Amino acid sequence: MFTNKKEIILTINQIIFSSLDIREVYETMSKELLKVIDFDRMSVTLITEDNNLYETFVLSKDYAYTELKEGVQYPMEGSLMKRVVQFRQPVIVEDTSKGRFLTDSVLYKEGIHSRLGYPLEHKGRVIGSVNFGSKRKDYYSRKHIAFFSQIAPQLAMAIENTRLFNGIKEAEEKYRTVIENSPDIIFECTKDGEFLLMSPSVEKITGYPANQFYENRGYGLSLCHKEDQERVQREILQILNGRNNSLMDIEFRVIHKQGHVVWLSLEMLPMKQNNDIVGIEGFCRDITERKKLDELKDNLVRDVTHELKTPVAKIEMAIDMFERSIALGDKVSLGRGSQIHEILRNNVNRLKNSIKNILDISKLESGVEPLKLSDISITDIVKQIVCEQKDAASAKNNVLTHQLPSGIPIVKADRDMIYHLTNHLVNNAIKFTEHGKIIISARALPDAVEVTVEDTGRGLDEKTRERVFEKFYKETPSAFGSGIGLAICKNIVQKHKGRIWVESEGKGKGSQFKFTLPMIADTKQKVTTNPK
Amino acid sequence: MKELLIVEDDLEMQEFYKDMLEGEPFTVTLVPNAEEGQKKIKEKIYNLVILDILMDGVTGDRFFALLRRDSRYKEVPVIMASALDEKTYRCFQALGNVSFLEKPFNKERLLSEISMRFGSKK
Repeated sequence: MFTNKKEIILTINQIIFSSLDIREVYETMSKELLKVIDFDRMSVTLITEDNNLYETFVLSKDYAYTELKEGVQYPMEGSLMKRVVQFRQPVIVEDTSKGRFLTDSVLYKEGIHSRLGYPLEHKGRVIGSVNFGSKRKDYYSRKHIAFFSQIAPQLAMAIENTRLFNGIKEAEEKYRTVIENSPDIIFECTKDGEFLLMSPSVEKITGYPANQFYENRGYGLSLCHKEDQERVQREILQILNGRNNSLMDIEFRVIHKQGHVVWLSLEMLPMKQNNDIVGIEGFCRDITERKKLDELKDNLVRDVTHELKTPVAKIEMAIDMFERSIALGDKVSLGRGSQIHEILRNNVNRLKNSIKNILDISKLESGVEPLKLSDISITDIVKQIVCEQKDAASAKNNVLTHQLPSGIPIVKADRDMIYHLTNHLVNNAIKFTEHGKIIISARALPDAVEVTVEDTGRGLDEKTRERVFEKFYKETPSAFGSGIGLAICKNIVQKHKGRIWVESEGKGKGSQFKFTLPMIADTKQKVTTNPK
Repeated sequence: MKELLIVEDDLEMQEFYKDMLEGEPFTVTLVPNAEEGQKKIKEKIYNLVILDILMDGVTGDRFFALLRRDSRYKEVPVIMASALDEKTYRCFQALGNVSFLEKPFNKERLLSEISMRFGSKK
C-alpha cells in the first residue's frame, strides 16, 4: 500500500505550493492521497477566530449525502476537533458506533465507521485538522499518522497562505469598491506628478476621465484655476519637502471640461516609502454647492446691510445738512427745508419698508401666524389695487387696467395676504415698466382662480425666471429693493396651496406673473354678485 | 482749477454732494451713471474721481476697472463711496491709488478726503 511513498509526498508538497486556490490544492491532493491512504471521506476543518466554533473548509464529494456541510460552523465542544486541538495530537476513532464524540453518531449513520483527525499547526498554533473517514471499522493506525506527519505542516502553511491571500483579496476588493464608488476623488501621485491612482469619480467632477490623468504627468495641476495654481503648487511642495507632515486641507477651483468653475476641497498626506516622501495621496471633494451657498449668504448679508444702512446714512446726512444750514444762517430757507424734509421722509419710509419685509418673511417662514381665512373676492381686491396704484403707474407713463370677466368665484383666503401679494406684483410691474401697459386679470379654472399681472416692461431672461422667487435674489447687485418681495409672494401662495410662476419671452419683452388660489369645495359654488 | 468727477446714481446723494461741495475751489462734474461717466472721462482728464459702487447698469467697481484700462487714467486717484464697509472692497486695491469713503460722511470728512487725494500717487 505505501508504494513510492516519497514520490507521492513530493508530489503532494508540490501541489500544495502550486496554487493559492485551496479547492484546487485539495482536489489534486486528495487524488494523490487516495493512492496511499484509503479513505472514503476527507475534510479540512478550521477553528474560527473566537476558538469556540470550527468550520468545515472543504469536503470530499464522495458521499452523495452528508449532514456536515461546507462553510457551516459547528461548536467545538464535544467534537473530535476539540480533542485534536487540546492535545495537539492525532486522534483515532476505531469505532464510531461507540459515540465517543458528538459527530460520531452522524458519521456512523452515514456509514463511516472509523476516523482519523490530524492537527494542522502553523507557527506553533493549531489552526484546524485534516480528517479522514473510512467505512471500515478500526482502519486507521500509526502508519497513517507517520505518513501524514510529512504532509501536514505544508498543508497547514498552504491553508494559512490561502487564508491570508483571500483576506488580502477581500480587503483589496473592498478598497477597490470604495474607490470606484466614492463620490470623492481619491488619488495617489508621485513626486514627478505621475498618477498611481485616480478614482473614476474624477470624470463626474471635472469632466475628464481618469485615464487622462494616468497618461499625462501633472495633469491635475493644469486643470487648476489660474488664480489658485500657484497656491496649490506651493502647498503640494510643502508636503513633498517634508515641511508639513500632517493632513493638509486646501480649497481651490478647477475648470470643468465644459468651462465652468468647480470648487474642490483637497485633503492630502505625504506618501512614504522607507521613510522617504515619494509623493502625495489624498482625496478631493466637490464643494461647489457649499461655496455657492456661502456666496449667497455673503451676498445676502451684504445686500441686507446695504439696504438697511443706505437709508440710515442718508437720514444722517440730511440731519448734517440741516445743522449746517442752521449754523450758517440761523434760518433754514424754505427750499432747503423742504428738500431735507423730503429726503428724511423718503428714507424713513424705505427703512420702514425694508424692516417690514424682513419681519414679514421671518414671520411667514416660521409659520407662527395662522392664515385668517375668509370668503374673499379677487375681483374687489384687483379693483382696489388698480385704483390705488393708478397715479404711481402714470408717473412712469404707464397705463394700468384690469380685465375681470364676470363670475370669478369667491375663494377662502387671507385677504390681507392676497392683497399684499397682488399689490407687490403690481408694484414690481410698475417699477420695471416705462411708457407701457400693465394689466391685471383674473379667470376661473375648474378648481382654482388664476390671477395674472402682465406688463410690457423689462422682462426676464431664463436664468432670472428660474430664480426670481428665491429669497434675496437680485438680477443685479445694485437692483433696488431687498430681494425679499417675491419670496414673500411665493410663501403666501404656498400657504394657500396655490402656485406662482412667471412667463416672459425674454429681456425687454415684458412679463406675466401668475398665481392660482385653489377653491375649497364648499365655497366653489359662490360667485361674486357684481363682477363689473 | 482742479477737476473732480463724481459718479452717483442716487438723486438724494447727488444733492448731498452738491450741498457739501458748493463754493469749494475746484470744479465738480456730477453724472448719474457709469455710462455718462465714461463719456466724461473721454472728454478730459479729471484730477480725482469719486465712485458710488452699487449702481444700476455698469457698477462702480466695473467702471473703476475700465477706467484703469484707459492709459490716461492709470494713476488718477479714485475714491470709492459706499454704505458698505471698507473690507468688502479690499480687492479693488489691486487697481491702485484708491481709497474708501464710507457713507454717511459729513462735509468735513468729504473735504478732507478730497484734499488728501487730489494729486495723490499712492
